[in-house]
Amino acid sequence: MNHWKSGVAVTAALASLTLAACSSSSPVATSVTSSGAVSNELTGTVTYWHAYSADSPEVSTLEGTIIPAFEKLHPGVTVKDVPIPYDELHQKLITAAAGEQLPDLVRADIGWVPELANLGVLEPLSTSMPDFQTYADQVYPGTLATNKWKGTYYGLPLDTNTRVLLYDASLFDKVGIAVPTTVDELMAAGPALKEAGAYAFADNGAGGWNMLPWIWSAGGDITDADVTKATGYLNSAESVKGIQNLVDMYNAGYMPDIILGDSGGLQTSDGLATDKYATILDGPWMYPIFAGQYPDFTVSSSQVPAGPGGSVSVVGGEDIVMTQSSTNKDAAMEFMRYLLSEESQLAMAQVGQMPVLSNLGPQLTSINAYYAQFVEQLQTAKPRPPTPAWSQIDSIMQDEIRSAMRGDKTVQEALDEAASQSDALLAQFN
Amino acid sequence: MSTPPSLAAPPRTAGSGSRRPRQNLAVAGRRRAILAAYSFVLPGFVLYALVMLYPAVQTLLLSFREWSIAPGKPSPWVGLDNYIQAFSDPVFVDSLVNSAAYTAFTVPLQMLIGLGLAVLLDSKLPGRVAFRVLFYLPVVTSWVVVSLLFQYIFSSGDGLANNVVVHMLGISSENVSWFQERWTGMFAIAILGVWKGIGWSMLIFLAALTAVPEALKEAAQLDGANAFQRFWHVSMPAIRSALSVVFILLFIGGFNVFISVLLMTGGGPGNATQVPLTYMYQQAFKFLNFGYGSAISFTLTLIVLAASALQYSWSRRKLAD
Repeated sequence: MNHWKSGVAVTAALASLTLAACSSSSPVATSVTSSGAVSNELTGTVTYWHAYSADSPEVSTLEGTIIPAFEKLHPGVTVKDVPIPYDELHQKLITAAAGEQLPDLVRADIGWVPELANLGVLEPLSTSMPDFQTYADQVYPGTLATNKWKGTYYGLPLDTNTRVLLYDASLFDKVGIAVPTTVDELMAAGPALKEAGAYAFADNGAGGWNMLPWIWSAGGDITDADVTKATGYLNSAESVKGIQNLVDMYNAGYMPDIILGDSGGLQTSDGLATDKYATILDGPWMYPIFAGQYPDFTVSSSQVPAGPGGSVSVVGGEDIVMTQSSTNKDAAMEFMRYLLSEESQLAMAQVGQMPVLSNLGPQLTSINAYYAQFVEQLQTAKPRPPTPAWSQIDSIMQDEIRSAMRGDKTVQEALDEAASQSDALLAQFN
Repeated sequence: MSTPPSLAAPPRTAGSGSRRPRQNLAVAGRRRAILAAYSFVLPGFVLYALVMLYPAVQTLLLSFREWSIAPGKPSPWVGLDNYIQAFSDPVFVDSLVNSAAYTAFTVPLQMLIGLGLAVLLDSKLPGRVAFRVLFYLPVVTSWVVVSLLFQYIFSSGDGLANNVVVHMLGISSENVSWFQERWTGMFAIAILGVWKGIGWSMLIFLAALTAVPEALKEAAQLDGANAFQRFWHVSMPAIRSALSVVFILLFIGGFNVFISVLLMTGGGPGNATQVPLTYMYQQAFKFLNFGYGSAISFTLTLIVLAASALQYSWSRRKLAD
């Protein structure tokens, strides 16, 4: 009898403890203010993983400006940010997903969102965030598209970037030709630049990030709009032409070997600053790097050389996503909204992170004049196909285009092979 | 453990009656010794079981599944499918060939040069401590640092390696793009492996050589043996077990080469310099094929285990001869 009684008492005590724990961890504590109105005050801790580089001012802006400002608006909420090196973040996210240890919010590379969404660990924002559409309408469409997986949006863009043509103006002055605005002009500039001891164009690999601007600008594509198949797109006549232009330039000696993935070669930025490469494609982060490493070099920029498809570059950047396992979704969502506010987007723009709010575009040039070309390029830039299979498709493209560059295959053969392998991968996710 | 022998209940053992008490005592003593041994081994074993054995068993189980990372999602049992896929995957087969080539190149060189240096530094050379430290330095240097360093040495431009090949040796008329091709890339990685590994085998050989009794060498000298004969007939037999241990460990290390490949070429260009571990890493952590990645690492383990067991039994037989 006694045993039974004490057992009941223990159970009751445990239950009350559990209940107490539940109520204290509940993010929304309802309180009645003096005026009698009921207000929902957010409380709790929001954990936020990101890969802002620790040796740039990015982390100090986040921790010193943005988070304190948010915590001032919501005194009950503490934001705990965890900087993780970019190279480790993906692996850490995967292991954390498996171990059910994900944080509330993640600043994820745009390429990871479909993959994480497919794993079922992300909160479907377009259904669970009441004012999702308000934010979706404010950002560049190309950046929003990176959050879409099977008709649902799993995140919001946070910062963006794209590749534009960076060139060495003094080199073009020296050989007396104009900076190329089309692919044809770039190819035509090859011989004169070669004469002057420089390569017309350099890039350090044949993956999607490198190749997509040439394919799109030639009027080609990678997959259909629903990302279900690559055959007919990746190996279309236009796509083949886009790659063929590069193969021709490589074979003519207008492009250096690093396109084949030579990790020991002269890297694009070093070559550009030392008059070896006339043009490269790269992002806004290169400006501070050039200023630091080559203070005597002035880098200039213009739009990606246009083809029949126009001047189309590739969108890079990061999205902000919320995990399904988050125990503090209301506070996390509020912090997300704050990260997309003009205030915090402009604070990050000061340290090189391009805002995603399209109405901030005109203001950006007053922060950094070099943003102008990137803002213009973003109007037409497209994201890599949003699919969990992208990293594998990327690796296949790299392999096949490399063999076309080496002359082991024709461009058509290489892209036919890449398309049929990609079809098989895409089929897994339909 | 502190139980005195007289109090320990000896187990009943078969044997002649007159010898029983002494034998029981001996058995009790042996039991105690065994118990003591186990208790010393236990903490290490627990740690080993926790960080090595448990993950290894889990990996084995993973390799039979189409494993889904997300908790709660089904991970269907696929039997040997992942293993069958591995052996029909040209990249995996090539990666095995690459690591075999790496092992075939680095192991003999590390052993020969390491042994040569050990013999030199075993003699009474002025400043030999300084030399020992110098040759051992690469071993304790971080793989990350030296991998990046060797990337510069083997750069496609006017790097040190190209300077040697073009200007000093004249083998090639123009600069070589080392990391552009499979075998030149593997060569650069292997050179790093040799450079970094020599000091370790040197140290083991040096320890073994120091243990060779001076008296034996002197006796051989009195019998008219020259330096080479003394080395070959006196020192070599004495360090044979060290040789076989170094060989087996280097062999295992050769097949498990990872960091240098990951940092110097990333398995590229394409998949040309892929080795099993970089390919496993790519499949598991980049493509999220954890089942397949596990099958790759287990296949590698089985190959290395079988080869090491063969070498071990072979060297044991040689030692017994």
